Amino acid sequence: MITIEPEKIHKALADLRSEGYDFLRSLTGMDWGEEGLGVVYHLGKTTTGENTVVKTATLNREHPELPSVCDLWKAAEFNEREVYDYFGIRFIGHPDMRRLYLREDWVGHPFRKDYDESLNPLRMTNEEPDDVTHHYEELPDGSVIKKREVIFDQDEYIINIGPQHPATHGVLRFRVSLEGEIIKKLDVHCGYIHRGIEKMCESLTYPQTLALTDRLDYLAAHHNRHALCMCIEKALGLEVSERVQYIRTIMDELQRIDSHLLFFSCLCMDLGALTAFFYGFRDREKILDIFEATTGGRLIQNYNTIGGVQADIAPDFVKKVKEFIAWLRPTLKEYHEVFTGNIIAHGRLDGVGVLSREDAISFGATGGTGRASGWACDVRKRHPYAMYSKVDFKEIIRTEGDCFARYMVRMDEIVESMNIIEQLIDNIPEGSFQEKTKAIIKLPEGSWYSAVEGSRGEFGVYLESRGDKYPYRLKFRSTGLPLVSIMDTVCRGAKIADLIAIGGTVDYVVPDIDR
Amino acid sequence: MFDFSIVTQWIHSLLTSFLPEEVAVFIECVAIGVCILLGYAIIAIIMIFMERKVCAAFQCRLGPMRVGPWGTIQVFADVFKMLIKEIIAIRHSDKFLYNLAPYIVILASILAFSCLPFSKGMEVLDFNVGIFFLMAASSIGVVGILLAGWSSNNKYSLIGAMRSGAQMISYELSTSLSLLTIIVLTDTMQFSEIVERQADGWFLFKGHIPAFIAFVIYLIAGNAEVNRGPFDLPEAESELTAGYHTEYSGMHFGLFYVAEFVNLFIIAGVAATIFLGGWMPLHIPGLDGFNTIMDYIPGFVWFFGKAFFVVWILMWFKWTFPRLRIDQILTLEWKYLVPIGLLNLLLMVIIVVFDLHF
Amino acid sequence: MKERRSYLGGLLHGINTLLTGMKVTGREFFTPKVTEQYPENRATLEISPRFRGRLTMPVDAEGNNKCIACGLCQMACPNDTIHITSETILDESTGKKKKVLVKYEYDLGACMFCQLCVNACPHHAIEFSTEFENAVFDRNTLVQTLNKK
Repeated sequence: MITIEPEKIHKALADLRSEGYDFLRSLTGMDWGEEGLGVVYHLGKTTTGENTVVKTATLNREHPELPSVCDLWKAAEFNEREVYDYFGIRFIGHPDMRRLYLREDWVGHPFRKDYDESLNPLRMTNEEPDDVTHHYEELPDGSVIKKREVIFDQDEYIINIGPQHPATHGVLRFRVSLEGEIIKKLDVHCGYIHRGIEKMCESLTYPQTLALTDRLDYLAAHHNRHALCMCIEKALGLEVSERVQYIRTIMDELQRIDSHLLFFSCLCMDLGALTAFFYGFRDREKILDIFEATTGGRLIQNYNTIGGVQADIAPDFVKKVKEFIAWLRPTLKEYHEVFTGNIIAHGRLDGVGVLSREDAISFGATGGTGRASGWACDVRKRHPYAMYSKVDFKEIIRTEGDCFARYMVRMDEIVESMNIIEQLIDNIPEGSFQEKTKAIIKLPEGSWYSAVEGSRGEFGVYLESRGDKYPYRLKFRSTGLPLVSIMDTVCRGAKIADLIAIGGTVDYVVPDIDR
Repeated sequence: MFDFSIVTQWIHSLLTSFLPEEVAVFIECVAIGVCILLGYAIIAIIMIFMERKVCAAFQCRLGPMRVGPWGTIQVFADVFKMLIKEIIAIRHSDKFLYNLAPYIVILASILAFSCLPFSKGMEVLDFNVGIFFLMAASSIGVVGILLAGWSSNNKYSLIGAMRSGAQMISYELSTSLSLLTIIVLTDTMQFSEIVERQADGWFLFKGHIPAFIAFVIYLIAGNAEVNRGPFDLPEAESELTAGYHTEYSGMHFGLFYVAEFVNLFIIAGVAATIFLGGWMPLHIPGLDGFNTIMDYIPGFVWFFGKAFFVVWILMWFKWTFPRLRIDQILTLEWKYLVPIGLLNLLLMVIIVVFDLHF
Repeated sequence: MKERRSYLGGLLHGINTLLTGMKVTGREFFTPKVTEQYPENRATLEISPRFRGRLTMPVDAEGNNKCIACGLCQMACPNDTIHITSETILDESTGKKKKVLVKYEYDLGACMFCQLCVNACPHHAIEFSTEFENAVFDRNTLVQTLNKK
């Protein structure tokens, strides 16, 4: 980890950017107490997969100010808003310095260690919608001024999509300015299901934090927990048995199929093909039954634990999984017949909502969305973990970047996931399913980052410990936040009906965005 | 074949025997009006139940099962629920138009419904420009939908209504063109006449390829005209929540809902009448024995059988396909259906002029 | 569409794809349905024995539970779902002081079924039952006392 002074940080990051660090993996706000408020940047090279970590801190707690890196990576736009929201760090040069999750009338910044909870009682009034934002600009003499900016004009035709809307897949809210049916501008409002999971984690023991990860992206419950367990195990220096690695990999892939089947179903429903929606759900049910037999949960599974898994696989697990795969292969053909090949589906998806490769990388839109734009961003290939280095699978990449490519990437990934499972399912080695851990788990001082390929992109965990049994800071790199941040870019010029198709294929899950 | 006009004439003579002519006619009109409303409600209930069961079957479900055996009472329960729900007045809406809109829609629907010949001698509105009247009457519905969207003071409703206007007016063209194709063949616009002419074979079979093409175009355009999937984007629930009737509640919503289903039945009924012989049994020229047996099946069974078969096909469409986008709907209409419809009309004219049909 | 099709070719192709879709749904129309008629099929309902329905404290034949009131489960719970009241009494046979359980309160409404309490328990005194019909009319009834006897 490189530490750089706030005055030099922008220059240093710009140098790194021109060196080829084009992927801002994660941007974490930090309150180091005595050492000030700061930001940790996780950077990656898409060409070689090299990573580097840069951090910076400002000692000014009254008016902490740091230069924005929006001009280098577009991913910083939402992430810096998040940091502003949590820590109150103002980013000079950021075009839109509003809060991201919390209400505009929130007092203070909750992630500061000196935050006073009593300042924010439960407010019973509605938040007034305000189409005004502001940004901070540095004048040549070094002083900083606040500038006001209007997001939507008075006479624009704005419709509100969400937070209660059938097509936003949860409580996400878009304010869309329309010209007839054409989208002129789109403003994302997050935070309707913000639970402050990262804040909660700071007062929970490590095993307790695990209970919350399933509730981030509930369609990647295994992946999320896998990432956090890996991170804690890395910090503890704990090696899990091969059996656990096998089980975790198989579970991850089953979860991926589960998520992609739900993606297929919901996309069909969004486009009005309600019948295909039911087929998808009917088949997903079979995976949930397999999960339930082994983990005891269907959506929230609590399966991975530090040093292993909660319970050994159910006796008929192998048989059931094989039956399921044998069943899903012909069913997938049926899906393709009823939806993929359909000319109406093609008309709705082809060439709609094109995301260029550069934008995908700049926004950090990983997962199926990035791969549909031609960016080989699969963590399973870039930084193999668990059993992924030992199995043979193809990373599905398409270059069109439109809705149809995003759709096909996921449909093909179902097949690849089935291939991975088939390679592993017969060879699960014997061994213990849980390593011995101490009753009270304390991590040594330090910071760790580990990432897995979630159902919809790179899910990362950044953990900083000060040697306690609680994490000092636990940051989850949300898979969904970069995905909603591309919405404005992708949707401009599209029709209102395309917004639904784009939202469906970008495939965000709102609890994961809001955390 | 039983002629229902015997019954109506008997009633008429009975009434005129002790009442002056005008009073008798007035009473008959009222009675027929009540019958139509009753029939309308019954058809709506059957249609809603059928929609639920058919859609469930396509989706690997059972559909309503709880209220009554096989869920048969479910629709009545829903109607009851809708009747007792409050009709909410929306702030800043145009109250008069807002309350008027559902009635315009239902009026158009009932007028069109009365044109259908259910059985031999069982026609209510039957005059020499029957089809023309039907088209005109059913077009009134779009006014109601536009008003509903406009007066609701809701942006979703407005977009839904505008889409609906564009769509329904466009697709009316294709519906008319395909009906016109058959009118060329029959040289009459009177429903009873059209049915009578199909005694020796339905127009779908008599009219060669053009009749078949016209049938397909009619099904597509008719489906679009009643705003049903895959053309249901005026009320596309994933985009516009419920389109033009977003703000309606209680029975006002119920009227839209019922009208949508009966309109579907009307489209199917017209298709059955014009292309599939209406109440006319299946006759195969040359097989007199077969034809006599077919004649024993009453006319209304034939009519409803055919109509519900067409309804089933339209439901099959709806529950298979994704929704189109507004520009794609208009492309389909103006680039495909209208030119093909026109060519088809020309083809039919050629066939009729050179007497090539059966 | 990848390649540009002619007007007529595109039309026929489109109709073909639509018919393919209708074939699938048409076939599905006649297949057995998957709906589970839930309250009626309680007898045949399959629930995995590992399913976490609600926390229970199993008792042996005499009605004694295994809880030693150590409080580990209470500490493990991330949501403060469990409240243990205990008292210290003198065990007459050994003459030593011993902690015994008075009341084991469990708030089902706040439980997030993470299984940490069960994992923490050294004596397997608590476990999750597969009972899943947890709805009640009054939220106060969700706060349950597990050691009834």
